[in-house]
Amino acid sequence: MPDDGQLATSLRRGTLEFCVLAMVELEDRYGTEIVRRLGDEPGLAASEGTIYPLLSRLRRVGWLDSKWAESPSGPPRRYYGLTAAGRAALEHFRTEWVSFRQTVDRLVGTGEAA
Amino acid sequence: MITQHTDVVTEYLREIDLRLTGLPVLQRRELLADLAAHIENERVERNLRGEAELIEVLERLGSPELVAAAAYAEAGPLPPVVGPPMPPPLPPPAPPRERASWVVPVVGAGVIFLLIVMALCAGFLGFSRAGSSQAPAIETAKPAPPAPTASFGVPAPTASFAPPAPTATR
Repeated sequence: MPDDGQLATSLRRGTLEFCVLAMVELEDRYGTEIVRRLGDEPGLAASEGTIYPLLSRLRRVGWLDSKWAESPSGPPRRYYGLTAAGRAALEHFRTEWVSFRQTVDRLVGTGEAA
Repeated sequence: MITQHTDVVTEYLREIDLRLTGLPVLQRRELLADLAAHIENERVERNLRGEAELIEVLERLGSPELVAAAAYAEAGPLPPVVGPPMPPPLPPPAPPRERASWVVPVVGAGVIFLLIVMALCAGFLGFSRAGSSQAPAIETAKPAPPAPTASFGVPAPTASFAPPAPTATR
């Protein structure tokens, strides 16, 4: 079903990055942790490896910062945290998303009342 | 055992690297380091043994084509690989994304602008009144003009007249 994949890609565009920001809102997390968590959600990421370029972009635009830290067992971990700009972007998305979702629900007939 | 693991991983990373030649070198290295750390994390934290389990990790990461495509999609506008060496710096700097890309043109334009203003002031003052050419030229050097488009925004505190028409700034 190629259309299914295209729909998932379209829906993911513009939303997945805010799922990433929300994951590190309360505490810093390391890359593998973020990737595993998002990879476990059905239909959210195309594949785990595609999340690292996304993390890189979010860092380059200043929404995330990152630092490498030693791990008690295993290789060093790269921890990601939310910057002030990232926090503002996430808050803005939350407002926009609620109103966007309500509009789509109303038009498509997927609201709770339907 | 370990060499077998690294063989499969090395080959996977090399396949990705081969597809990233159009990316800036730092983004390319960053992605490869992130992927290598991910694989090593999975191997240690899940106590993976054997090549089959490692291949599962690689399959979850996605094919080299898929990962490389994501890297290009997230890279943003890329500089042309082959093209003119450096376009002339444009006056309005875009919203800064990386410091190095805008600091040089802005500072450079500021310095050039200052030099022009100083030359104009010195020349004008030397032309009109020969005595007091030195002090105002030094004082105008202190307030740095914010943008090269402001053609006479420099306050000249001691010189009571501004240079009338410095059309030579363009």
